[in-house]
Amino acid sequence: MSPPPGSVRLRRWWIGVAIGAGGGLLVLLSALLGAVDVPVRLGLQILLHEVSGGRVFPDACVGSGLSPTRCSAYTFIVWNLYLPEVLLALIVGAALGLSGASLQGVFRNPLADPFLLGISSGGTLGAAVIYVYHIGVADADLYLPAFAFLGAVSTGLLILTVARGRYSSVETLLLTGVALANLLSAILSLVLLYNPAGSEQVTFWLLGGLGLADWEVDGIAFGSVLALGTLLSLYGRELNLLQLGSDVAQSAGVDAARVRLKVILLASLVTAVAVAFTGIIGFVGLVSPHIVRRLAGSDYRIVLPGSAVIGALFLLGARDISYLAFPGSLLPLGIFTAFAGVPFFLFLLYRQRRFAPMGGG
Amino acid sequence: MTLTTPAVRVARLGVRFGDRVALHAVEFDVAPGEFVALAGPNGSGKTTLLRALLGFLNPDEGAVELFGAPVADLSIRERARRVAWVPQEESLRDDVRLSQYVLYGRYPHLRPMDRETETDRALVARILGEVGLADRANDGILSISGGERQRAILARALAQRTPLLLLDEPTSHLDIAHQLDLLGRVHALSRNEGVTVIAALHDLNLAARYADRIIVLSRGRRIADGPPRSVLSEDLLARVWGVDAELAVDSRSGLPYLLPRRLVTETRPSSSTLTAGPVHVVGGGGAGAPLLRGLIDEGFRVTAGALHLLDTDAEAAESLGVVAAVEGPFAPLSPATRAHHRALLSEARVIVVAAFAVGPSNLANLEDVLPYATRTPVVVVDQTPGTPIDFAEGRATAAREALRTAGATFVPDTDSAIREVVRVLAGPRADPSLLTPEG
Repeated sequence: MSPPPGSVRLRRWWIGVAIGAGGGLLVLLSALLGAVDVPVRLGLQILLHEVSGGRVFPDACVGSGLSPTRCSAYTFIVWNLYLPEVLLALIVGAALGLSGASLQGVFRNPLADPFLLGISSGGTLGAAVIYVYHIGVADADLYLPAFAFLGAVSTGLLILTVARGRYSSVETLLLTGVALANLLSAILSLVLLYNPAGSEQVTFWLLGGLGLADWEVDGIAFGSVLALGTLLSLYGRELNLLQLGSDVAQSAGVDAARVRLKVILLASLVTAVAVAFTGIIGFVGLVSPHIVRRLAGSDYRIVLPGSAVIGALFLLGARDISYLAFPGSLLPLGIFTAFAGVPFFLFLLYRQRRFAPMGGG
Repeated sequence: MTLTTPAVRVARLGVRFGDRVALHAVEFDVAPGEFVALAGPNGSGKTTLLRALLGFLNPDEGAVELFGAPVADLSIRERARRVAWVPQEESLRDDVRLSQYVLYGRYPHLRPMDRETETDRALVARILGEVGLADRANDGILSISGGERQRAILARALAQRTPLLLLDEPTSHLDIAHQLDLLGRVHALSRNEGVTVIAALHDLNLAARYADRIIVLSRGRRIADGPPRSVLSEDLLARVWGVDAELAVDSRSGLPYLLPRRLVTETRPSSSTLTAGPVHVVGGGGAGAPLLRGLIDEGFRVTAGALHLLDTDAEAAESLGVVAAVEGPFAPLSPATRAHHRALLSEARVIVVAAFAVGPSNLANLEDVLPYATRTPVVVVDQTPGTPIDFAEGRATAAREALRTAGATFVPDTDSAIREVVRVLAGPRADPSLLTPEG
């Protein structure tokens, strides 16, 4: 009644190929999409010109009839505005997907995500505090992400402190995170209420966006997410066993308490990187792991990297939809992740035909 | 590992949860290859003991050794290579393929970056065959039946390839066929592969059927330990579980089995609070205890006598709040005790004589009933053929026959005796004031 394992692997392989090809195409087209429309052919020429260091298409704008000034303007837009934004969307999406997957795994709860646990709110509060109280305002570009990062990490550490407690169960931890998230939101509201001047900038963190993207930000984000994500992905086997309960996992050789600490720490760090550069972008962390599970089963060795890929594409898709739906306007990305994610999520959730984990669907 | 190293050594193990003592000075060894059943009522410490064996908790006193190494000194991974655990159930949320699930059991044998090898997969396939799930290998763990899932959990634990297997109520969610199936498989493992098994089992009949040895815990103490047929007794059931049970021996296997009848204490009011009756029970040596309990269950105030101190019937009488004429241990009945006994006999509305063993020291019990037999209804439990109860050179038999002549009703067993009392004192619970003594 079940297919042999071979067909499972084949199915996974095809899903992988489809996602890879679709994703590549999406990235290319996304780089041409933004506040200003770039003709597809021109955009692709510019990309190839820049990527090849001018060897392919020595004249990036050949055949477009553009003046050199306008050509260089388009080149700047595609190469220095759109592409970094696309890449940041991918990096942050991957970070959020990873964070969501690992938190859902460690808390054994399909609702867990960095937003629910207050890690994202902690980041926003960090950003708000520096804005409102003008700490290091001289170099806000650098201080803001740093403080958002600190805020997110300290929230994660606070949850960890509880996790180290003797009587901590997974449920206590989760509830602690939820309570903490509420407290942080309240503090944030209070800070903004008394300092309305700072609220506009802080709103960026509250609603999330890719506005900070440039090659330098992308580089920092990519490096840290790659490192943290690689470390997190090493815990797939342990997370699989943790799904059977801490006791069973421990009886099978998993140091449940230690794995929990490490994974929460890594997930907080990777979330903090995302929050630092893009603010709170909800729903990516929640949805991505579920999509992966539906497509490829519940093995965390696949769910973790898979959620990174799906999260990346999901956030990029949300960015594209925001440009397509409201050309020219830069609406906060968090809005679109919800608009795009919720219907899709509900569709997956209520669909009768389940993707059985091992190809039974 | 030498044969002299026990698989498990529990040394004066003490565990407290706050003020509550969960385990107190528990001490025992388990030899390699032994199948030990842990028995005891809920809250007796079985699960705590298993958790201590798994190294899940730090004992307040004492220590646990697994194959000569203190559990506390072993890393979690090392422990998982020595002992595997089959819990009552596992909360499985994610549907994973059965073969994948069983593969999880290989974790303690894999280094962090390793992938499972073909050897691991072959082992899993073999284990799935052993537990009868070979054809389900590619099914999702959530799609199989409860009985199959419990076998899958066993398979996962077996994949750890440990010399020691701990099971915590592995059959509590299974129907009778699956209970036999699961424990049969575990039993075979213990026999054929020398795996040491410690299983907490609620079902004492299953424990007797499969275990080499039963350790009984009560209130955190090890109160009985040995082969099933020497450990299980009606007395133990009454003392530890508070259950009135009948112990019999299966004629084919020679194994003991228990038929529970009713609770001993929990629902039974103290005899002194009851008003119907009184009914006087003449017994001794344990023959009277079922009568005492049964009559109290029927709502009668019960008296007893004359009993010797430390005698089973005397202890039952005391625990049940039964007023009894009591003599010192093994002593002949003194005039004072006999007077007390006669006083109780004279107050009784019905006298019940148990099929108790009569020797010179308690012959007076039987003889003292005779004067009352003419005015008080007497119910006599007949002796069972083949179980002699007359150790007083025929004088006990003579006394019983005299009772028959005086009009006593003879019944074959305890239950009939209780029914007879109920019949004689018909409706005592409805309105005791309407009753008039017979005669």
